[in-house]
This record gives sequence, structure tokens and C-alpha cells, in this order.
Amino acid sequence: MSQSLRPYLQCVRASLTAALALSDFASQTSERHNVPEIEAQSSPELLLNPLTISRNENEKVLIEPSVNSVRLSIRIKQSDEIEHILVHKFTRFLTQRAESFFILRRKPVKGYDISFLVCNAHTEAMLKHKLVDFIIQFMEEVDKEISEMKLFLNARARFVAESFLTPFD
Amino acid sequence: MASPEIHHLFHNPIADHSFSPDKGTLAVARDNNVELYGKEGNKFSLTDELKGHEKTVTGVDIAPNSGRIVTCSQDRNAYVWERTESGWKPTLVLLRINRAATFVRWSPSEQKFAVGSGARVIAVCYFEEENDWWISKHLKKPIRSTITTLAWHPNSVLLAAGSTDSHARVFSSYIKGIDTRPEPSAWGERLPFNTICGEFLNDSAGWIHGVSFSPSGNALAFTGHDSSVTVVYPSAPEQPPRAMLNITTRYLPLNSLIWNGENEIIAAGHDCEPYRFQGDESGWQLAGTIENKTGAGAGSVREESALNMFRQMDLKGQSQVDTQLKTVHQNTISTVRIYEETNGNVNKFSTSGVDGRVVIWTI
Amino acid sequence: MSQLNYRTINIDVLDPESSVNFPMVTLLPPNLPPPETSSDAANVANQVRQLLRSGDSEGALRHVLDTAPLGGDDRAKEVHMAAVIDVLQGIRQSEMTRVLEGVCSGEGGSERADCLMKYLYKGMSSPGPSSGAQSPHKSMSPQSTGGFSQIQARNLGEGGGGQQMSVLLSWHEKLVELTGTGSIVRVMTDRRTV
Repeated sequence: MSQSLRPYLQCVRASLTAALALSDFASQTSERHNVPEIEAQSSPELLLNPLTISRNENEKVLIEPSVNSVRLSIRIKQSDEIEHILVHKFTRFLTQRAESFFILRRKPVKGYDISFLVCNAHTEAMLKHKLVDFIIQFMEEVDKEISEMKLFLNARARFVAESFLTPFD
Repeated sequence: MASPEIHHLFHNPIADHSFSPDKGTLAVARDNNVELYGKEGNKFSLTDELKGHEKTVTGVDIAPNSGRIVTCSQDRNAYVWERTESGWKPTLVLLRINRAATFVRWSPSEQKFAVGSGARVIAVCYFEEENDWWISKHLKKPIRSTITTLAWHPNSVLLAAGSTDSHARVFSSYIKGIDTRPEPSAWGERLPFNTICGEFLNDSAGWIHGVSFSPSGNALAFTGHDSSVTVVYPSAPEQPPRAMLNITTRYLPLNSLIWNGENEIIAAGHDCEPYRFQGDESGWQLAGTIENKTGAGAGSVREESALNMFRQMDLKGQSQVDTQLKTVHQNTISTVRIYEETNGNVNKFSTSGVDGRVVIWTI
Repeated sequence: MSQLNYRTINIDVLDPESSVNFPMVTLLPPNLPPPETSSDAANVANQVRQLLRSGDSEGALRHVLDTAPLGGDDRAKEVHMAAVIDVLQGIRQSEMTRVLEGVCSGEGGSERADCLMKYLYKGMSSPGPSSGAQSPHKSMSPQSTGGFSQIQARNLGEGGGGQQMSVLLSWHEKLVELTGTGSIVRVMTDRRTV
């Protein structure tokens, strides 16, 4: 498992490091504004080609770079309905607390489960390589978290079933 | 090689920095203000603040002879600051632009300065005696996007500009009555205002971050977001260049560059350390980093540490990585400037970056 | 026309001077090769497969990268893409480093490296050939609440082009070791897509 996860995370790390070369850039469409160009999408030349990194159909990362911001979207592995529900609940829990979580986007990009929006202000205030570390760590933990929750749910279900069935013993 | 002189001024990004000719004063752009630091012994301490801009200051330049300071900001304005008995006095420049000003540099003659902007124009500014005012003329034609960087030719007429439309261009900014007629060169013979003397695009495009003329003015180097440096040797007016050499690197994009003589370029950017390029018309190559680090090179060091981290995660289930980078600058370098030179050969240069450090390097 | 709500029209799009209408063709270099048709691409693919069969994997990769249809139409690009994937899958893991070092050196080596990087990302962005119809939502009917039968669930999760992706990922790792992040940056900036 970790054997095949490593090249995937390594690839995300390299791609993200390359994409996070951001600079301060004032909007050229609205005066005295400075907005993330990847969200504004008002000048095509300021957006770069997006990169997709995928491990398989169900696990993907989309990196959309621009001159002053990068949008990173993760599709978390969901192999069955329970995992689907767990991922949905888990990401919803996080996105609802987005303001205390600087780089989290409130709404994931279509087709993905969770999105981050990193702006030049973030790379200026925080160490760039630590930001990359954080996202890699998040990706690693979230898989673990989901499978743990699922195991817990299964154990709980078994326990409940057993206690319901004891009277019939 | 002497070890670099490091001045950690504060924890904010430095958009641009400039030293006075006697190196006693250092002007840095910090948020909405420009701060002046005076040298005391080996340290720089805050002496004055130039307040007036309402948005992030993007450029600052001290004229070597007159001592005037020009600043520009994302609030669309530029000011020329002059020292008076009661302190620094700003004069508003009539830029006539409706988007952010992004970059400013005095011409070598100090009669003019150029301001790049997000309004897809370059304002070439000069002083009009009659009205006692700095006014501007616009370089407009083929610019299609924000101007990110500018550099003056030694003759004070030719101006190189880089833009987010991925083109580096050379313009004539000849202004009658201000400039003396320039000598004809490979860039052009007759040079009325807004003549385009060259327009260059890399194969892999990428926004231009830095431009610079060689000391003789007969070659132009620019660096783009495709992590490359390109050197152009013009042949004759209206002709394709004699040579256009593109050096791709394995690093992150470079933001700024300077020439050291005709055969060496020093560039720095998102990899937080300066690199050296060497060559001539027949070919250029990367000659390595200027920093003396314990590791072999930044790239390999970082790769290795990523590998170690994963190994650590496998073994211990936790990551203990160094928060400090191995480079002197801890974040992107945004400006490289010549600090001390003799006849076009650089002895010392200074860099400033997002980490709030100004570093003086000895070659 | 009378139903048209003028307040919802994006007027910027109609203004040729607006930055929304930036002419993206100006970012393409003038030396771009002429567009290639899909039959040209198929010819190249045949040559490449022949090279691969004869055991010259390095020559095959070199040739397929040199003939990338940067100016081709989408169909030609797709055909060429398939050829590149075939070559990449046809080279054994133990040989990757040696082949890469050969391909990325010499005249035009760095262009080939950048081109290969483009194909790696493109390969990862397009769905694998074996998994066209499979979508995770469809495979989850409410009846088969597969939470308890983990064996079946695992198969679903690992499926869908995982094999091809893992080949691409190991190529990516080897290539980054050789060419650094610079080559990834160029994939993002270069408007000559493959």
C-alpha cells in the first residue's frame, strides 16, 4: 500500500513545488484590486496549463496554477458507498471551518472532494516547503482517517448486531 | 569568496530595494511604505519612512547622482521624493494609468524614469520645467498584458520591458528636448518614440520576470517563468537577431538578473539562491550556484530531504523535517541589483526577497 | 430577443480590447511545425512499435518524442499519445534510468525531456483505456452496500487504470530526478500542448 502511495505523493510534491512559484500581482481588469487570478479567470495569459496527477480512476489531484494563486483539488479514494459518505461528511466538516484554515477553499472544484486555494500572500507568510509538506501530510492522513472510520463503523455495526442477537442465543 | 553580508530587516516581503551611491542608505519597499535604512557600523537601522502610497509599493529606485527617490505602487501612482530641510517631500507624477504601477527605474541619465503598469502601457516620465511637474508619455503598441519588469540601455533611450504576455521587447523612449540623439547601434539607427527594436518570445513561453542589457548594451538577457534565461544578440535594425540563446534550467523560475561583464549573468528567483551563467555568442551554460552550502546543490539536497522524510514517515510514523532552508534567503528572491562594480565587472551585488532579508554578496 | 436580459450579458467578452480576449496564439512560437494529420501520427506509431519490437527501446522513445505533433489536431495528438504510452509501458522498470539518460542527453535532449514530461501529465489526466465506462457512483448501487464485504470494495478502489498510472508515476519520478522541477514548470508555461 505505502509502496504505491509513495510515487504518487512524490509526484504531487514535485508538481506542487513547481506550481507554487507565485508573485504579487495586481488585477489588470479591475483597478486597485488584487485578486487570485485562478478564481477570477479574467485574463487567459495569466493562467498556466493545469496538471493532473492520478494514482487511479478514484484518486486524483488537480493543480491549476496562475500568476498569483494555485488551486489544488483532491479526489479522495472512495471504493464503496460507506467511504463515499464518510468522505463527504469529513470534507464538509473541514470546509465549514474554512476561515480558520487559511488555504482551504469553501467549495471543492467539480469532480473533486476537497480544494485548497494557495495565494501569494500564503507563500509569503508561510514557508513554501512547509505548505507543500502540509498538503502531502493531509493527503496521507485523510486516507488513513477514512479507512479507520470505516473499520470503526464496521466494528460498531458488528457489536450492535451481536447485542441484538444475544436474546436469541 | 567572502561570506555574504546578511541584513534581516523585518518579516515582510521586500518588493524592491535600492542603495544610495555611497551605500549609506538603503531604501526598501515594505507594504504601503518605503523605509529608509541608514548604515551604522555593520548594521542597517530604520531612519525614515516615505509615506504616501495607499497600496503595496512595487518599485523603488534611488538616482545615483541627484539622490532623488522614485517609488511606484499598486495604487496607480508614482512619486518622486526629494530631500528638503524638513524631510522628504513627494511630488506626484502624472502617470495617466488606470491600473497598478508595477516597476520603476531611473534612466542612466537621470532625466527620465520609466514606470511599468498593469494597464498594458509603460509610462516614460520626464520633468517639464514650465509646469514644474513630472509628466509622462506612453509606450503602448504591441503590449498585450501587464508589464512586469524594465531595464534601461546605457544610452538612456532604449528601454527593455518584460511582460506577462511572455514577450521581452526593446523600445525606443526618445523624447525630444530631453535626450540627445543616440548613436546608431545594432538595435536601430533612427529611433523615434515607440519604435520597437526587438520582440522576443521563448519557445516554451512563460511570463517574463527580469530583463537586463549587457554593460555595452549590445546584448539583452531576460528570464521567464519557464525557468530559463535567454540571451539575445541583435544583428542589425529590422533584422532577426544574430543569436538567441535559451538556457533551460532544472530549477524553479528565476525572477531577476544582472550582467557581470559581457560573459557572465547572475540570476536568482524562487529557488532562494543566486546562480551564475557563463558564455558568449556561441553558447551559454549554467555555471552553478554562488552560495557556499554544505550540500552539493539545492535541487539534490531538497530531493534527498523529501526522500528522507518519507523514509522517516515509514519508520517512525512522524516527520521531523528542518524548517530552515539551507540557503541564506529563506524565501523567494525578488530583486537582484549591482552593489559595486568597476568598468562593468561586478564586485558585489545585493539581493532582496520575500523573507525580508537584504543580502550583499561578494563575487 | 425581447426575452434577453441585458444585465446578464458579460460585456467584457464583446470588447476586443478586453483582457478576457487575450490572443493566446501570440504565445506560440513562429517555428511551430505545421499541423499533422492523424494518419501521419499513425505512421509514426507504426515505426515506433517496430523499433520497440526490435528491442531498441531508447531509439523508440527518442523517435516518438522527436515527432510529437505540437501543431497537430486533437485526433493526431490522441494517436501519438497512445504510441507514447505503449513505448513507456514497453520499457522495463530496471531500464528506465538508463533509457532516460540516453534520451535526455545530446542534441535536443532537454526538449525531449520537457516533451516527455508533457506526455506524463497528459497520460495521467486522460482516463485509462480499460476504465472508460467505470464511474464510482454508478458502481455503487444501494443494494450492494459493500461496506461489509471489503474484498470486493478493494478491487473497485484499485481498479480503473491503476496499472497505467503507476507506470507513469514511476517514469515521472525518474524524470524529475534527472531534470528537476524546471521541466514541470515548462509543462505549465508551454502553450504548445501535446
